[in-house]
Amino acid sequence: MLQVNDLTIGVEHSPLSLLREVSFTVEAGEIMGLVGESGSGKTMASLAMMGILPPGIEFRDGSVEIDGRRLVDADGVIRRTAEEMAMIFQQPKSALNPTMRVGRQISRVIRINQGVPADEAQHRAVEMLAHVGIPGAQRVAKAYPHQLSGGMCQRVMIAMALSCRPKVLVADEATTALDVTIQAQIFDLMRDLVAETQAAVVFITHDLAAVAEMCDRVTVMYGGQVMETGDTRSVLTNPQHPYTRFLLDAVERDVDPRVEEKGVNFALTGCRFAHRCPYAFGACSEFPPMVPVGDSHHASCFLHADERSSSVTA
Amino acid sequence: MSLLELDSVHKVYGSGAGAVPAVRGVDLALKSGETLGLVGESGCGKTTLGRVVVGLQPATSGTITFEGSPIEGQYGRREIRRRIQMVFQHPAQSLNPRMRVATMLAEPLKLLTDVSNGEIADRLASVLTLVGLGPEYAGRRSSELSGGQQQRVAIARALMSEPDVIVLDEPTSSLDQSVRSRIIALLRRIQQERGVAYLFISHDLSTVQRNADRVAVMYLGRVVELADSQTIFESPQHPYTKALLSAVPSMDLDERRTRVVLEGETPSPSELPVGCSFQDRCPLVHDRCRLEAPTLLPIRPGHDVECFAVETQPAVTD
Repeated sequence: MLQVNDLTIGVEHSPLSLLREVSFTVEAGEIMGLVGESGSGKTMASLAMMGILPPGIEFRDGSVEIDGRRLVDADGVIRRTAEEMAMIFQQPKSALNPTMRVGRQISRVIRINQGVPADEAQHRAVEMLAHVGIPGAQRVAKAYPHQLSGGMCQRVMIAMALSCRPKVLVADEATTALDVTIQAQIFDLMRDLVAETQAAVVFITHDLAAVAEMCDRVTVMYGGQVMETGDTRSVLTNPQHPYTRFLLDAVERDVDPRVEEKGVNFALTGCRFAHRCPYAFGACSEFPPMVPVGDSHHASCFLHADERSSSVTA
Repeated sequence: MSLLELDSVHKVYGSGAGAVPAVRGVDLALKSGETLGLVGESGCGKTTLGRVVVGLQPATSGTITFEGSPIEGQYGRREIRRRIQMVFQHPAQSLNPRMRVATMLAEPLKLLTDVSNGEIADRLASVLTLVGLGPEYAGRRSSELSGGQQQRVAIARALMSEPDVIVLDEPTSSLDQSVRSRIIALLRRIQQERGVAYLFISHDLSTVQRNADRVAVMYLGRVVELADSQTIFESPQHPYTKALLSAVPSMDLDERRTRVVLEGETPSPSELPVGCSFQDRCPLVHDRCRLEAPTLLPIRPGHDVECFAVETQPAVTD
């Protein structure tokens, strides 16, 4: 359904790239986790896909396809419709317009994108609010965002994102700002809605436990580079990339003390994790290829590239 | 004897019809050298309670005793402030970006103690080493440091006056998972070396599980369950604790949990119902809960629960 190939973006007038050859696919009805720490590029990847990169950041290369349609035109501008792709943001209160009643915000999205009359759009907005489990949808539609709780606002965001039945839904840390009991409610809601609408979901999070809970597949990013991708069970129980292992250790154990506490170095032309990786060697100053390490499980690491080439020659 | 004891502490913001009772009668004791985790969701009063303990906000009523003597109204005294310190959630906001690390670290000693400049320099070097930065960081400014390093400086600042208690208010919540893991290991090592007691406030239950000796669960300004960490995480008794724990996503892909999903949301603290404040979301609610409020009672030694449904279990007789 969604296919992202070699997506590369960078800072204008600078050779540095924030995303390097990022590729992943998501099938209809599938939830694909995009995980990483601050600076990993997970949010940049989603903004690039949506065609809403912040000023000063430019699209350099790559393609985004939904259902076979290429979204990127010759000038590197992404055009998509609300029926193709919609996004849920981390801070629902800041993503909603504080001066407009939430029902009207949703109905505008429906009216503008689907060309239906205002009263029909308003009616559908209230229906959507009820559909995402908001009690008293009629009344809530007349409320302003500041009158609603964070969990309620996130339901409004979900209603808005799904109002045009998008084929792809991008959820960027959709529950990070919420309490865990509310997060559990939103997770249940998202799972139900995905099963019902068969949307392809890119589920961006820093929380590996949320991935274990929600995602069919997972893509691990670091420094704008895809480190490892595969089936959730395979990646979480049998991680092949040193960075994934380090990240998993951090959840339940103490981290490997050999991995230095350093920020991402975007100037590295080789593997972006090389300056922290305890297994780094000469080859890591080149960009590592993505190699198969299991059934539909790939890692971008020379450790495995070598294994593979030696096993091929043997 | 406990190092720090809270007896029926209340904190109300505002007054009259708009009054918000943030903390509603909390009894807690912090023992010397232990880590007491204080968990709960937004608005439960955990941060307010921490601020009251440090003296950043006065309690509305109730008593706090430190080493057996009440300390209310005495937060102006340097000795108390020296012995109870705090680390805040956002290091970038709690450190002064214009000051060098050495100046920031020396400040609590200059304000709260009479130690000599030589002693300050000695402590500075040993504390910076203890938090894993090293004396070479003394001349840096916080804006030059990463989030993890800034939090290490904030911890160092709290340690400078050699306190007995540090209130840690979400000390790792703004940090990435791998940095968080290192800060937790650091806090543990500091406790082993210095014997300082932590009041560890967090909404992140897995962090608390890895850190705390005992855990107090707060809901709407009250402690609803208190026990040692293992008991809280393995056999929670209060329906809210059960729901809270079951809502936390788990890394275990094969675990089949019976999830308690709570209906609705936490009510506003200014419009609390009569009786138990958890009644509208509680799966075990019965008539009595709507008439009177339960109190925190021991169900076994060291395990206190505030719930009629748990109290009336036949296993507990008194």
